[in-house]
Amino acid sequence: MKRLLLPLLMMALSLPIAARNAPAALLDQAQEAYAKGHHQQALALYDSINTEYTSAGLLYNIGNCYSKLGDFPRAILYYEKALRLSPGAEDVQANLDMERTKVVDRMNQRPAFTLGSAWDRLQGGKDVDQWARRSIWASILMAFFAGAGLLIRPTYAKRLLYGAAGIALVASVASAALAAYRVHNVEQRSEAIILSPSVEILGEPRQGSTRLFILHQGTKVDLLDHQGEWQEVRLPSGAVGWLPTTSIGVI
Amino acid sequence: MSYRALLTAWIAASGFLLQAQEITFQATVDRNEIASGEPVKLSIELTNASAGGGMSTPDMGGLVVMQGPMESSNFSFINGRTSRSTTRTWYLTATAPGNYTIGPSTVRIGNSELKTVPITIKVSKGASGGTSNQAIDKAQQRDPNLFCTISLSKNKAFVGEQLVATYTLFSRYNSLQPKDYDLPKLNGFWAEEVDLGNTNWEAQLRTINGVQYRVAILKKQVLIPLRSGKLTVAPMTLNYMVNPSFFSSGTPVRIQSNAVDVDVAELPSGKPADFSGAVGDLRLQVTAPSGQVKANEAIDLSLTFSGRANLKLLDAPKLNLPPDFDSYDPKVSDKITVNGSGMSGSREYQYVIIPRHEGTYDLGPLTFSYFDPASGSYKELRSQPLSFSVGPGDAAAATTGGTSPKVDVQRLGSDIRYIRTGDLQLRPKGKFLYGSAAWILGMTLPPALLLLTFLWHRRREQRMGDAQGQRRRGADRVARKHLAAAQTALEKNDQGAFHDAVGKALEGYFADKFNLGVAEVNAAMIQDKLGQMDQGRTAAEYIALINEAQMARFAPIVEKPSKQAYDEAVAIISRIESRYRK
Repeated sequence: MKRLLLPLLMMALSLPIAARNAPAALLDQAQEAYAKGHHQQALALYDSINTEYTSAGLLYNIGNCYSKLGDFPRAILYYEKALRLSPGAEDVQANLDMERTKVVDRMNQRPAFTLGSAWDRLQGGKDVDQWARRSIWASILMAFFAGAGLLIRPTYAKRLLYGAAGIALVASVASAALAAYRVHNVEQRSEAIILSPSVEILGEPRQGSTRLFILHQGTKVDLLDHQGEWQEVRLPSGAVGWLPTTSIGVI
Repeated sequence: MSYRALLTAWIAASGFLLQAQEITFQATVDRNEIASGEPVKLSIELTNASAGGGMSTPDMGGLVVMQGPMESSNFSFINGRTSRSTTRTWYLTATAPGNYTIGPSTVRIGNSELKTVPITIKVSKGASGGTSNQAIDKAQQRDPNLFCTISLSKNKAFVGEQLVATYTLFSRYNSLQPKDYDLPKLNGFWAEEVDLGNTNWEAQLRTINGVQYRVAILKKQVLIPLRSGKLTVAPMTLNYMVNPSFFSSGTPVRIQSNAVDVDVAELPSGKPADFSGAVGDLRLQVTAPSGQVKANEAIDLSLTFSGRANLKLLDAPKLNLPPDFDSYDPKVSDKITVNGSGMSGSREYQYVIIPRHEGTYDLGPLTFSYFDPASGSYKELRSQPLSFSVGPGDAAAATTGGTSPKVDVQRLGSDIRYIRTGDLQLRPKGKFLYGSAAWILGMTLPPALLLLTFLWHRRREQRMGDAQGQRRRGADRVARKHLAAAQTALEKNDQGAFHDAVGKALEGYFADKFNLGVAEVNAAMIQDKLGQMDQGRTAAEYIALINEAQMARFAPIVEKPSKQAYDEAVAIISRIESRYRK
């Protein structure tokens, strides 16, 4: 029984990696189409991959296709999505900054997390599973140290092993917490980009209610409540209003 | 011979000579290709024969007779040879383009019938083409004796397309003295005069509504509309003195031409980025030195545009040179002719460019876009790709002594960064290791294994701990058994067996109590284990008792009575037992 468990564990850990090679042919085609300047075709191919798979690189490439086709709101949307998967990715940030210059609405972007890139790196960069994997390794180490400490005669080494097991336990729990935070971050649906050229923000989720202000394509908003085909949003300035869900793309 | 006879003979002779001359009958035109509205002269000539019944008028095949027929005869006597010819002449024209065939003309000479060869006239669309008859009619109605018209080659045009305006004077007066004229101001056009030389009356009269006029082209202009919309060529005003004579300066007549409207269409959308307003039909020729050039040495690059277009309005094409090149404004040399069909010729731009640094520069093909009004689309001219291989320059090395002046890197443009290629590290959507079955297994399995290990370890420990405990707990019982045996031996007065049993009881008890082998029981071990008890007295006593028992076993010299030894052994065991009870 115990001899079976370890290989089983190894197999389970390698599962997410095995999925990488699946749509290689499609990817090659898309890459080639983009290189030749057939951005529409490249976009269609990337999109078809994106129905099942995702990655920061894929989302970034889709963003580039939209940018080349002149659809800057969608380019922004996909760059933002890519940043979710790979916080602080330099290429993505550079292109996003370039596309943002086309946005009409002047918004004070909320300052990024002050720790900046160090925090991004700590979160695991583009490797979303990094902390989940580390939590497992820490858990294995903890068990190993504690087991070894249990079995040897009571000496100084025994106390050292118990200490190490304690540290590994803390590390495992902390890693699991970070992994949970990261997955929450990636999965959260709390922000959106305006895709319609211009959209009126209304006071109530009802056609014909008071018009509060007008937003233009490419602007980023926070998502609050949701009611039928209406979405409540908050601007960086703090203003809140309702707009139709069709006019936005959720990051 | 009488005079009459002589004359008759001469006539006969000449008649004979005449008959000997070859008879020809042929039709000729002054040209085979005309523009619609232009006249063509048809001559049918019969030589060395009398027309007699007359030559037939040929079928003109759709051509309109402007004038004619006019008949002329010619008789000549050269070097004793007589020749005569009869010529009938027509001026024909066509209103629509196409091919027209003038049929044969026939003439009967004696018994034979002669025929001319049919002639085909090709009529193209005239540049001055559609002088609208309506305009002429109107002008004629204003003043049937003297009038002037403006006609345009086209009434619809694109911005930049060339038009030809013709100013024509029609007159029935014999004598006409121009006084002054007022040329219309052209609004929205670029105008280019066509050099016609001296104004002369045309050789042919023109018949308009049955009235014959002398016609003169006063002026031709190439007009290029500069903006879209309805543009108007304003009427021209002319002042003439009619029929001046020695006695009077003539009668003043003031005439005004018609005005002409042009519908100018905006160029269609989809202008190429490098379009700069060239309209027409263009070709591009680029000459550049090939092969190696030197840094800091001038390169002559020449771009020649040729064709029929608004060449004078061309902008110098921009060369997209790398910043390492210095370039100067191009020298422009024109070979442009302006004639009745518009502006054509060539314009050459000569650029002087100077590469400042070594290297291989691939400039790509030069491109230039123009609008072709005939097809209504934009066309691109594209030269051969230009590339220069710039070698080290002599001057630079000499003046800077091997070091290059430093220049800032220039930013030429901005673009988004390129896509990621290679492994994109794709993963199934919405699946994470965190929270997956694998993760839960990975997180719970090691602690579970640890728990199993702990349980197994404790059980083993328990089992081991029990064996020792039983032995320890049993130590007293075993010792009692030995002591009971000693008592039995004492009663039987068997000294050897008694001491043997006491020794066994003492050693065995100690070994059992402290979980040792019997062989390990010695003075040092006893001192070690029992040293702390009663300041070492117990240990000493115990060692002494064991020694006594051993001594007594092998040498039957008894120092103390066996009963005392037995009691002491029982006492010390029960003392240790009470101390280490557990």
